[in-house]
Amino acid sequence: MLSTTISVLIDATLLTFTLALASLGLAIIFGLIGVINMGHGAMLTLGAYFTWWTMEAGFPFAAAAIIAATCVAIIGLALEHFIIRHFYDKPFETLLITWGFFLVTTEVIKIAFGTDIHNIPNPLPGSFDLGVQQVPAYRMLLAIITLGLFLAIGFVFYRTTIGIKVRALTQNREMASLLGLDIGRTYKLVFVTGSFLAGLAGALICPMLSIDPYIGMVFLVRAFFVVIVGGIGQILGGTLIGSFLIGGSETLFALFSTQTFAQTVVFALAIIVLRFRPLGVLTSATRT
Amino acid sequence: MSALQSTTALQTARRLGVSESGLAIVALVGFALLPIFVSGYTIYILPQYMLYGVMAMSLALLWGYSGILSIGQAGFFAIGGYIIGLSFKWIDFGNPAYIAFVVAPCVGAALAGVLGYFLFRAGVRAAYFVLVTLAVSIIVEQVAVSQSQWTGGWNGMYVPRMSLTLGTGTEISLFDDGPIYYFVLVVVVAIYILLRWLVTSKFGKVLLGIRENEDRVISLGFDASLYKTAAFMMSGALATLAGALYGTHAGFVSPSLGGVLFSTEVVVWVAIGGRNSFLGALLATIVVASLSNYLSAIAPRYWQLVIGVVFIVVIIHFRGGIAGALGRSGAFGKHKRGQDG
Repeated sequence: MLSTTISVLIDATLLTFTLALASLGLAIIFGLIGVINMGHGAMLTLGAYFTWWTMEAGFPFAAAAIIAATCVAIIGLALEHFIIRHFYDKPFETLLITWGFFLVTTEVIKIAFGTDIHNIPNPLPGSFDLGVQQVPAYRMLLAIITLGLFLAIGFVFYRTTIGIKVRALTQNREMASLLGLDIGRTYKLVFVTGSFLAGLAGALICPMLSIDPYIGMVFLVRAFFVVIVGGIGQILGGTLIGSFLIGGSETLFALFSTQTFAQTVVFALAIIVLRFRPLGVLTSATRT
Repeated sequence: MSALQSTTALQTARRLGVSESGLAIVALVGFALLPIFVSGYTIYILPQYMLYGVMAMSLALLWGYSGILSIGQAGFFAIGGYIIGLSFKWIDFGNPAYIAFVVAPCVGAALAGVLGYFLFRAGVRAAYFVLVTLAVSIIVEQVAVSQSQWTGGWNGMYVPRMSLTLGTGTEISLFDDGPIYYFVLVVVVAIYILLRWLVTSKFGKVLLGIRENEDRVISLGFDASLYKTAAFMMSGALATLAGALYGTHAGFVSPSLGGVLFSTEVVVWVAIGGRNSFLGALLATIVVASLSNYLSAIAPRYWQLVIGVVFIVVIIHFRGGIAGALGRSGAFGKHKRGQDG
């Protein structure tokens, strides 16, 4: 019983970090500049495909992941520069446009890479003995990388000039602009960072899954629920707590039932949470 | 600014209203006479596209008239398809199709009601609603795949063609494509008229008011969340009913019917046709679905891509879709983008 509990806890923790990694790019774009990036899933998929492609060309996994994330960041930059930046004051239109981006990207992926399932070899085979359970070494590494990313973003956000600018922007856009902050460039920076992180997440997650054109789709909705449940704008703590609530409860329910049923229940729970805490568990109802 | 805008919207609506009815009659006569001139595959497939069109109109009610976007309409559609399939399997008295036509809209309305209650009551943003409906679509597909003892999983489920039974024991078979074509046409026309009537009723006016300025409607004493929930329930019921009829017409339902891709396609049809016009949504669906069928045979790899690009262009440049472009007047010619969807 005790060992089951511990292994469930370990599973839940690992899933929490995977979800947090997958949601981070979305949380940043959504939380800081208010763009509901429905193309997030497509960016994850792109990251996975670019990684696979670069590895086919002979690069090692780590280099491939960085190259893939950079390519996704460049695509994000183009999307932002040519379309999104004209629609920042119309959140609903950006939602539709990024959804269109998802459609187009998915089709381009199908045309360029085919619809076959691809697999890339596990970059870190073997497992890690935690006493009660063998944990795959790569999942462990993934959790550590995620934690590192969160710390790095926390540092940039709270300890650097760029972080101050971004925080100023989210707190009072007009005032920040009056004080000479280049709003357009800061928005662009945030969007590109979010795209980079989405691409990186796709690259890092893909060794654990089979790569198909809809690999990011599954994560899109879960990532949104993570962000909404955690609270918009609560980029670090909110995303972690949201991931824990979504991922942890999914692991828990999957113990007693099928994976599908667990996911359905978790989505239902997320909707109920929204009913009573529409701004997320971390945000008090009075703040808007 | 907003006063001017709503005047423009009203005028456009009025102008469209006049021409739309004329156009609707022309279209109806055309569809009614079509089986005289053509037969075979066209007559087989058109009713299915008309039913897609009903789903598109259910979305137009929500998106165009209430300002709420759902990308889960196909989820409702698929639920309807499975309900009629199960009804034929399980029910051995009366006419299983009739029972499905009662049960399906009730289930659709109930699901929409529960979701609407949770989301609109909490006053969540329109964007969250979109995401939740997206989740509905994903869940329906997953459940249809995993609960294979009922739904047949990936293999899908076969549904027999219905027949019409009258109280006296007379039975009219709809097994041939001709009779069911007319049956579907009658249903579609009835739903179209119902929707047109609905949006001119007081209920429809409140919905329009919510779309234009929700706060003002609330301060006038209307319970906006109740109206939105009701609109969503109606939309869900219509999509589910259309799905049930589709199931018995197509003879087959599969999980992809409820999937995200199909849900998105519906949004594309409505965006192209014009979200403020039921006729626009209906006709655009029939035309685009026919084109898709034709072109996906020639260029299967590129057709979906074209749809995606057209969708983005419509969102950026032609907010009102084709109907909006046609209904634009000279005096108020400047096309305005509103604040939300």
